[in-house]
Amino acid sequence: MTNGEDYQLVAKVVSSQDTAAFGELVRRHQSQVRNFLRKLAGDISAADDLSQDCFMHAWAKMHTFSGRGSFIGWLLKIAYTTFLQSKRKSKRYAEVIEQVGHKMEVDSQTYTLQADEVTDLDKLLAVLDEEERAIMIMSYACGLSHREIGDATSMPVGTVKSVIFRGKQKIRTSFDIKDHQHG
Amino acid sequence: MTSKIINMAERIKDADDRLLESMFAAAPIADAGFSAAVVKRVRRQLWLRRLAVPVAALIGGAIAIKPLAGFVTIVASLTSMVPPQLIDATTSMLPQLSTIVLGAMVLGVCLLGLRALED
Repeated sequence: MTNGEDYQLVAKVVSSQDTAAFGELVRRHQSQVRNFLRKLAGDISAADDLSQDCFMHAWAKMHTFSGRGSFIGWLLKIAYTTFLQSKRKSKRYAEVIEQVGHKMEVDSQTYTLQADEVTDLDKLLAVLDEEERAIMIMSYACGLSHREIGDATSMPVGTVKSVIFRGKQKIRTSFDIKDHQHG
Repeated sequence: MTSKIINMAERIKDADDRLLESMFAAAPIADAGFSAAVVKRVRRQLWLRRLAVPVAALIGGAIAIKPLAGFVTIVASLTSMVPPQLIDATTSMLPQLSTIVLGAMVLGVCLLGLRALED
């Protein structure tokens, strides 16, 4: 899976609205985007819906891809924005529901976990805030460079590094990760 | 040079980094119709967008036809009130049909030329 092949497919999509080329791009990157959103949202079906929305946004904004970084970095930027927008929408919805008398538990920091399938990684991610979680996932699960993460989150590289450092510190203080390392 | 140093620094990973990478690592998710569903949504959206303009024109036309007919009737009744000498004078001032056709052809060629230049 090379950047060059991605760029060729993007060129086809932009020049002639080639849906087959776009389908190939989706096939190549769906796993990483879905993995990113599943880890970020903690809910498989919601994450898959968000992934579809992310690719729809990518289709609409394909002409804005400058080719400066990797295509997956650009896609994850859209995925992260889609996630934040949906989170904002559901928060606003819950506020309206609350205003009309129903009580709903909303917390922007809440990390939804399905009780029957809580993994070590879920516990680990739960100690991080949303921004740290997104950046740690981009770095350790998706293998993006600090510069690519900076582009995706609109943050300077120095801030990305300090967020990763802070995330690691939090994980270190919450879990004895050395114990985990040795079994 | 600076970017090379940054890249080197990124590549130097400690034990925690390697452990975190192994914990974050996930098996690839099987497509299982996901990309087909996305492409289907994209095609539907394209189709709807292509259909939107003709449908809007049709609906707009249907809505506008009745008031337009009324307007034409009013204009026709107004022209009957204008003295015939004035109508003769204005018609002689209007451009000939051949001039209009020529003008349209020049405009068309200019637009095509512009499009070719853009391509």
